[in-house]
Amino acid sequence: MPIEIPKDKWTGSIRAVTIGATSAEGGTRAKSITVGGQTSMPYLHYEAPMPNKPVIAIEIKSRKPDDWSPLLADAWGEAMADPAQWAKKAEEAGADLIVVALTLADSPEDAVRVIKSVLSGTGLPLIVWGPGQAEKDNELLVPISEATKGEKIVLGICEDKNYRTIVATAMANGHLVQARTPMDVNLSKQLNILISDMGMSKDRILMDPTTGALGYGIEYGYSVMERLRLAALQGDAMTQLPMIVTPGFEAWKTKESKVGEGVPEGWGDWKARAINWETLTAIALVESGADVVVLRHPESVKRVKSAIEELVAV
Amino acid sequence: MQHTITFTHEDKQSTAIVPTGAMLSDAAHLAGLDIGQPCGGQGRCGRCAVQVTDGNVRRRSTLRLSPDDIEQGYALACQTVVEGDVAIHVPPQEKIERRLTTDRVVAEVTVPADYEYLQDQTVRRVHLRLSPPTMEDQTDDWSRLQTGLRLQANVNKVNVSLALLQTIGDVLRAGEWDVTAVLEYPLEHLEQPLRLVSLQPHHVDEYSPLWGCAIDIGTTTVSVWLVDLVSGGVRAQVAEYNGQIARGEDVISRIMYASKKGGGQELRQRVLDTINELLETACKRVKAKPEDVVKATIAGNSTMIHLLLGIPASNIRLSPFITAVNHPPLMTAREVGINAHPEASVDCLPGVASYVGADITAGVLSSGLDTAENVTLFLDVGTNGETVLGNRDWLVTCACSAGPAFEGAGVVNGMRATTGAIEEVWINSETFEPTYRVIGAGKPKGICGSGLISLLSEAFITGIIDKAGNVNLMASSSRVREGAHGGEYVVAWGEESESGADIVLSRVDVDNLLRAKAAIYAGFTVLADTVGVPLETMDKVLIGGSFGKYINIEKAVQIGLLPDMDWSRFEFLGNTAVKGAYYALLDWKKRERITEIAKRMTYIELSADNSFYEAFTSALFLPHTDMSKFPSVAVALSSKVKGRRSNVGMTE
Repeated sequence: MPIEIPKDKWTGSIRAVTIGATSAEGGTRAKSITVGGQTSMPYLHYEAPMPNKPVIAIEIKSRKPDDWSPLLADAWGEAMADPAQWAKKAEEAGADLIVVALTLADSPEDAVRVIKSVLSGTGLPLIVWGPGQAEKDNELLVPISEATKGEKIVLGICEDKNYRTIVATAMANGHLVQARTPMDVNLSKQLNILISDMGMSKDRILMDPTTGALGYGIEYGYSVMERLRLAALQGDAMTQLPMIVTPGFEAWKTKESKVGEGVPEGWGDWKARAINWETLTAIALVESGADVVVLRHPESVKRVKSAIEELVAV
Repeated sequence: MQHTITFTHEDKQSTAIVPTGAMLSDAAHLAGLDIGQPCGGQGRCGRCAVQVTDGNVRRRSTLRLSPDDIEQGYALACQTVVEGDVAIHVPPQEKIERRLTTDRVVAEVTVPADYEYLQDQTVRRVHLRLSPPTMEDQTDDWSRLQTGLRLQANVNKVNVSLALLQTIGDVLRAGEWDVTAVLEYPLEHLEQPLRLVSLQPHHVDEYSPLWGCAIDIGTTTVSVWLVDLVSGGVRAQVAEYNGQIARGEDVISRIMYASKKGGGQELRQRVLDTINELLETACKRVKAKPEDVVKATIAGNSTMIHLLLGIPASNIRLSPFITAVNHPPLMTAREVGINAHPEASVDCLPGVASYVGADITAGVLSSGLDTAENVTLFLDVGTNGETVLGNRDWLVTCACSAGPAFEGAGVVNGMRATTGAIEEVWINSETFEPTYRVIGAGKPKGICGSGLISLLSEAFITGIIDKAGNVNLMASSSRVREGAHGGEYVVAWGEESESGADIVLSRVDVDNLLRAKAAIYAGFTVLADTVGVPLETMDKVLIGGSFGKYINIEKAVQIGLLPDMDWSRFEFLGNTAVKGAYYALLDWKKRERITEIAKRMTYIELSADNSFYEAFTSALFLPHTDMSKFPSVAVALSSKVKGRRSNVGMTE
C-alpha cells in the first residue's frame, strides 16, 4: 500500500533578505547573498523547495584580539593583525559573508578605515558589529554607515534598549540591521516591531534570537528558533525574518573550547574538541532553521559547509 | 464668503467674522475665547466640544461624539468647518469633561435601598430606664441590667467582658439608671448569647449616629470608611499608604521581613498606626471619637490580615502556600489593637487562599459578580492583581504580582489619588506640551494611578516613548531629556509644581507601569483561557482599584491594561474591597454571602505552568506584542504615524 507523507500547508513564508550590493546594485561587492524565502520548516524538501540555503559568516575583529583562543590564532596566523588580510583568508576558507567586529579601542576614523580596507580586501558582503556598548556602537556605526552608503551592510547589533540610532542610519544609507533579543519569542517579535515602526523595511532586518553553545543552553535556543519559525509560517508577520546566530562566539567561550590543560583526559584532544564544539553547535542551529551562522575557525567552516550541502541536497 | 460666528459662553456673547471653511476653533480664538485643545487640535481628546445652536457646519471628525451628542448639535471645535453664519454655545469646561464617554467616574456610595438597621445590623443600641436599687430591692447591678434588657429589649441572655463589668456600677449610677446599651447580636450561631459592647450613662437619641467602620488593608493603600450604622450612610472616607510600605512593596517582601526577629511585631504596629490615624482623622471629620466606633469590618489580602493579627505569615510564601487562617473568628478592638471602643467587634472577612484574600471576596460581593447572570470579569487593579471570572453559577480566581505602580507607589513622582495629584494628562502630538488636570485644581504634587495610565498612553500615542517604553530622545522638546535613570519626560516644570521640583515620568516608572499592566493583562487572559471563555464573550468587565475618581477606559486600553472591547462593557467600581466591607458591616445577610462567596471560589495557580510567563512577556509591550488584539489602538497609532516621523526628522 502506498503511504502518503502528510504535508503541512502554511499560510506564511519567510522574507528573502539580500545582503551586500554589487556594482549593478549600487555597491562594490563581487556578489550579493540572499537568505530566507522559506515556505516550510527547514529541509522538508517534499513540502517545499528551499530557495536559499543557509550561509556561513566568518567573524573577524578590527584589531588582533588578545582574548581569543590560541587555537584560533594558530589557524589565522599573521592575518589576524590586518583585517583586510584576515577577511581575504576568511573568503578563501569558504565564508559567504564577513562579520567585522569593532572594538572599544576603535575611534570612528579607525573604524571607517578598517571597514573600507575590508571592503577592498574581499568581495563578500559585510556584517559590521559595534563593540557592544550602546554609546560606542552608535558613535562607530553612524560614520561607517555613511561612508559605505549603498553597500547593503548589516549593521548591528540592535537591542531593545539601543536600536534607534542604528536603524535610522541604516535607513538613511541603504543598509540592513541585525536585531538581537535574549532567547524569547515575544522579545524577538517586539524588537522587530520597534524597528519596523521606525519605517525600516522588513526586507532589511535579520533577527538574532541569541543562542547558547552545546551544553550551555542550546536546547533553549533551538526551541525558540523553532517556535519563531512556526509562528512565521503560521502567518505572524513580525517573525517572518531570516535568523542569524553566533555559534562561534558561544562555542569559543566554553571551557571545553578555551582550556587545553588540566582537564580530564577523557575530554580528548583539545583542538579536535574545540572545533567539534563549534561545528556541532552550528549544525544544530542550522537544523533548527538558522539562515546565517557566524563562525570563527576555518575548519568548522569547512565542516558546517559540508553539512549544509547534505541538508539541502534533495 | 465671510460669515459671522456668534459664541455664547457663560452668558457672555462674542463674535468673529471668518471665511467659509474656517475652523471653529480659529473663529473662537478670533472671538477672544480660549477653548482648551489639550491634544493639539487633532480631534483626539474631545475637550473642545461646543454646541452648534444655529447655522451650518461640517464636522470633519466626530470621534468622541456620540450620535446623541451630534443630535444635540455638539461638534468638536478643532474638527469643524464653518459653512455659514453660525451660533455656538460654549459649555463650561467641567461640563464637557462630564460628558465624555471615555471617562468612568466612581459611583457615589449610596446606602443600599433595602437597609433596615433593626433587621440587618448586628450591633444595636437599646435605651434602658432601670429602677434604682433600694433597701428593699437588693438586686445586684449586673442582674438589674439583665432584667432591664429582658423586660425592655426582649433580650434573654447577654454576655459581658470583665473589663466592661468593672465599669457598669459607675456607669449605671452616673446615668442615674437611665442608660444606653450597645448590644451585638451573634452572626452565625443565633442561639448564642448576645454581647454587651458598651454602656453609656445617658439616653442617646434613637436617630443619632452609631458608628462603625469598614476597613480595607491593601498592600499599598489602607482605606477606612466611617459609617453611621443607624442610617447606613458613609460619613467619612479616608485613605493613606500602608505604613508597612517602608518595609517592602509587595506581600512577599513583607512576609520575609515579618519572619525576621521583631519584624512581625513591627509590621503589625505599622499597619495599626496607619489604621488608627485614619480612624482618628475620619472621626474628627464627623466630630466623633474613635472610642465611639463599636464595630469594624476588615477586608484585606491574606498576608495583610495575618500581619494585622500578628499571625506568622511565612507559610503563605512557601509551597504548598497555606495560610494560618482564612477566616479569623470575631475579635474585639482591644485584642486586635485598633483604637475603637475596646469592646467593639472586629470582623475580619473570610478569604479563599494565600493569594486570594478577603479583599477579593468583599470585592466580588460589592461588584455583584456572584449574582451576575452572564459571564463577567472582575479585575482588581491593585498590587496583587487579583482577577475573578464567573457568574452566579461559578467563580474562578487567580492572582499575580502587579506591584504598586497603579496606586502611585514605586513611581518617582507617584502619589495617591488625593489633592494635588495629576489625574489626567493630554499631550499635544506636535509640540509634546502636556495639559493636565489636578485633583483639587491646585498646583500638582505628583501623579496618581489614573494620571499615570493616561500619561503613559499619551506618551506612547504621541511617540514620546516607543512600544517597549524607551523614551525617544530624538523627540524635539525640552521636556524629553536624559534623566538619572535613562530618558524621562517632564510633565510639570518646577515653577508649576507644589514642591518646586520638576514632575517627571522616568524610564524606571515606565518599566514599573509596563510590568504592572502586563501582569494584570496576563492574569486575566490566562484565567479566561484556562476556563475556555474567550474575552470577547464577557458580558461585562468590572474594574476595581484605587487609581482615583476616574479611569479613562480608552487610555487603559491603549496601554494594554484592559482588553480592546466595546467601552460600554467596562464598569469602574473604585475600591471594591472597602465597599464590600461596608456592605458586610451593615448587613449580616451580606456578611454571610461573603462566606458563601469564599467557599464557592476556585483558585487557579498561575505558576503551575509557563503559560502565564508567556502571556506576561507578550503583554510587556505597548499595547501588546500581538497588535491584532488591539485593533482600536492600531487605528489610533496609524493616524499618528505621519506626525511621529516628522518629529524624529526622518523620511523613508
